[in-house]
Amino acid sequence: MSFLAPLLLVGLAGLLVPVAIHLIGRRRARVVRFAALDFLIATKRRTARRFQLRERLLLVVRVLLCVALPLALAKPFTSCESKGPLIARGPQAAVLVIDDSFSAGYRLDGRTLLGRATDEAARLLTLLGPEAEVAVVRASEGAVHPTELSREHLRLRDQLARMSPSARPADLDRALARAAQLLAGSSHTRRTIYLLSPLTRGALRGGEPPWGEDGPRLEILDVREGAALPNLAVVRLSVEPDPGAGSRGIAALAEIANHSPLPAPGVTVSLRIAGQIIARGQLDLAPGETKRKRFLATLPPGRRSAEIAVELTADALPADDRRHAMAQLRDEIRVLLVDGDPHAARHDDELFYVEAALRPGDRAETGTAVTTITPDDLDEVEIDQHDVVVLANVAALPAEDVQRLTAWVKAGGGLLVAPGDRVDPAAYERTMLPLLPQSLRDPIDTAWGAAPDERASRALHLTKWEADHPIFAPFARDAPGLAEASFTKIVLLGPTTDTDDRKVLARFTNGAAALVEARKGDGRLLLFASTLDRDWNDLPIHPGFLPLIQESVRHLARRRVEGATASLVVGQGTSLPTLDMRKLEVRGPERTGAVFEGARIEGRRAVRFTGTDAPGVYRVVGTDRTGATRDRDELAFAVNLDPRGSDLSAAPADLLPGSGNDGAGPSRSSERRVELWHAIAAALLVLLLIESLLIQRAR
Amino acid sequence: MPRLDPVALARLGSLPLKARVIVEGALSGLHRARLHGSSVEFAEHKEYSPGDELRHVDWRAFAKLDRYFVKQYEQESQLTVYLVLDGSGSMRFAGSGLSKVEYAGLCLAALAYLVVQQQDKVGLYVFGAPGGDIVVPPRARTSHLADVLGVIDRATAGAAGEDDSPAAALDRIGELARRKRALVVLASDLFDPDDRTLASLRRLRAQKHDVAVLHVLAPEERTFPFEGLTLFEALESDHRLLANPAAIRKDYLERMDAFLARVVEEMTSAGVDYHLCLTDRAVEDTLLELLATRQRTMAGGARR
Repeated sequence: MSFLAPLLLVGLAGLLVPVAIHLIGRRRARVVRFAALDFLIATKRRTARRFQLRERLLLVVRVLLCVALPLALAKPFTSCESKGPLIARGPQAAVLVIDDSFSAGYRLDGRTLLGRATDEAARLLTLLGPEAEVAVVRASEGAVHPTELSREHLRLRDQLARMSPSARPADLDRALARAAQLLAGSSHTRRTIYLLSPLTRGALRGGEPPWGEDGPRLEILDVREGAALPNLAVVRLSVEPDPGAGSRGIAALAEIANHSPLPAPGVTVSLRIAGQIIARGQLDLAPGETKRKRFLATLPPGRRSAEIAVELTADALPADDRRHAMAQLRDEIRVLLVDGDPHAARHDDELFYVEAALRPGDRAETGTAVTTITPDDLDEVEIDQHDVVVLANVAALPAEDVQRLTAWVKAGGGLLVAPGDRVDPAAYERTMLPLLPQSLRDPIDTAWGAAPDERASRALHLTKWEADHPIFAPFARDAPGLAEASFTKIVLLGPTTDTDDRKVLARFTNGAAALVEARKGDGRLLLFASTLDRDWNDLPIHPGFLPLIQESVRHLARRRVEGATASLVVGQGTSLPTLDMRKLEVRGPERTGAVFEGARIEGRRAVRFTGTDAPGVYRVVGTDRTGATRDRDELAFAVNLDPRGSDLSAAPADLLPGSGNDGAGPSRSSERRVELWHAIAAALLVLLLIESLLIQRAR
Repeated sequence: MPRLDPVALARLGSLPLKARVIVEGALSGLHRARLHGSSVEFAEHKEYSPGDELRHVDWRAFAKLDRYFVKQYEQESQLTVYLVLDGSGSMRFAGSGLSKVEYAGLCLAALAYLVVQQQDKVGLYVFGAPGGDIVVPPRARTSHLADVLGVIDRATAGAAGEDDSPAAALDRIGELARRKRALVVLASDLFDPDDRTLASLRRLRAQKHDVAVLHVLAPEERTFPFEGLTLFEALESDHRLLANPAAIRKDYLERMDAFLARVVEEMTSAGVDYHLCLTDRAVEDTLLELLATRQRTMAGGARR
């Protein structure tokens, strides 16, 4: 303990005064020789102790009073070790950067990390004093930052009190940069950034702070105080239809991560469909391990879509213990088969194998609705009611049909064209080019003039297919079911047409293109260079034919459902097709959402929604031209937390801002002066009160 | 007749003078012997010698022993009075006037004077004195009075003795008086440490003695008038007590009242003639009260 005015301690000599008074008072007591002392002793036995106690207490109190007064006047102080940086009051500029990412919702010892950070920030505000110009900057990704420093500390305290964890991960670099900008505009020489964060690995990118040498001082306060923050999280969830589990079957694949240095045995994982827990499973997770858990389930009867959630037993950070997805059963793909070479004998029909491939065994749950027509019927069919059109060995169509089909493709339709004997490349060149990724040349017959035993050796085979393309996704790398098919006649392809993203997906062994894909408007075109029956090849009788046709049709129809089941992270925008609606309303969790109508939707094919501020499922309600309103389940989407924020392991020292400088890293303890005279003065008052009471009782 | 202030009386000089002043000034003619001139009482046998009266020869003894014995008779006085003075330390408390032992001494001296003047016998027993108990046997001679008063004078002027109970003194009186009825006057503050006094008084009463108690207290002991921080020191021991009298007055007075009430009750039940004597009270008043009570008692006894 030290003193600001030690000379005043001379006054301690005053403590002799009460002692002297006490002793003199005793000496001055009148002496009476008394006979009936026994009566007095009997009486006094009870009161004497009280009297003596009171006298001694009075002496002690008075001595303390005489000690306390000079002590208080000497202004004693002591220094104590305190956590955090050394802060001096006075005029200065400071920015409190507070990590309000969702990971700050972690509860440590009953308090959230954000609660610790805001409490500490409030304490810093007090220590900085009313003359300090301060701003509070939230460090979560996408947070709105203040534009200036302020002395309105009450408002800042209010802001701190109202702060709650956001649903986004931390972006400390952006927040620090903004803090530096705010301080750069200050005229104060003392400029400090106080970073209050759990300093998780995912929140820091490392390197120097985003300012130069003359930039502000950075004080880092680790609100976790070095504690380990074990955390379990669902970091990924994908849902897809699973025909193996029935027509409403789905497969949910979740990834569970154990961001902890300790193993997590028996972690319970639950699958929730439309709010009901459908299945539970258990996982044993090693430290730092991520495991997948696959759930098979069926959607409730009558539902083609449903909200899916996979969740864990809540831990210290419940926000990332649940992940959402929107399960969409694939709608039936409406396929219009245009048979260019119909035949009375069924197996000789041009589309016999295609129909069989699209509806194997004629099962009702194949997911496709096949309509077969002849080219002559084409003008009577509403093409808009179909997702995919297959032109199989169809002679060149009239210009108006081509025009209609072209418009339909541009609007999102999918068209598969396969040649045949009825296809005249020249006629196609004249009218059909808008529907082709490349023009057609004359077909070649590789077995022409060959002896029967030579035909097989002259046949072409498929090779060099795009294994990563969705159409070839079901096939193994060597795909024997495709590679063994023999092609004796193919059509060669000519120059490219007016399409986008043309791509050769497979080639024949002679190098000629076998399957070409292109995008036209919002639609897709596929051109197969041989027939879809056995006229030019034997592909239809190979095992690869069925998946090839099914995947091709699905690929052509994919645009329609693209994006519908996409999973977004909080803050990520998404494009919603307007579907020619008059009004679209997005309804998200926690009152998030938006309404698109009027000028915001009129004449647009898609609108962009960016209000994904909370995790959960966002439903879309559409109002069509007739005024009918209904849920557009196909547009519903799920928004989840960014899994980067779930890893709460402490960032290594070299990742901390300015780790290359001396004194970097979290502020350690510092010596702080604590003035004691306030307490002594308070004690003085209490002593005076006690003395008054004692004197009052003595009378 | 104006009463004599005990303090002024104390200044008069020798104790015989004080006793005489008290008795002749205030009490002359009041004393009445209870058995005045009624009979003679056999005392002892004495072998006849020439000159003895023949009427006192015990012929029955001559018939038995063939020797002449003369009956000697002790002329019985009107009264034998034993004065018992408490000379213990507690009696030395003076307060603002006479000490209790001085006051008690005056009272007993006046009584002795009165008794001897009436030709009654008076004895004295001083207990609690520093040198031990002092006993003066009862005699009726005037010269005996000087002995009694001398002993009282020395006892009151001497140093304080230890605190002692009157019980032993009373028991000893009982032995001395034998079967002769006597009047025992005890002057004490009754601060009896062992509570045996009452039993001794009861025994005296059982032996047909008349017993009177002058309970001598200082006014300060009765009212406890002290103020301010006071260090009380015991008279008979080293006990010291620092106290604020105001804080303990109520308790003290309650205890003193209870003590007096108990004494009165016990004395009354034992048939003891009890008189509370504060030292600021005129001695003759105290004696008058004692004598008046005695007269009433004798009158009552005669009626019986």
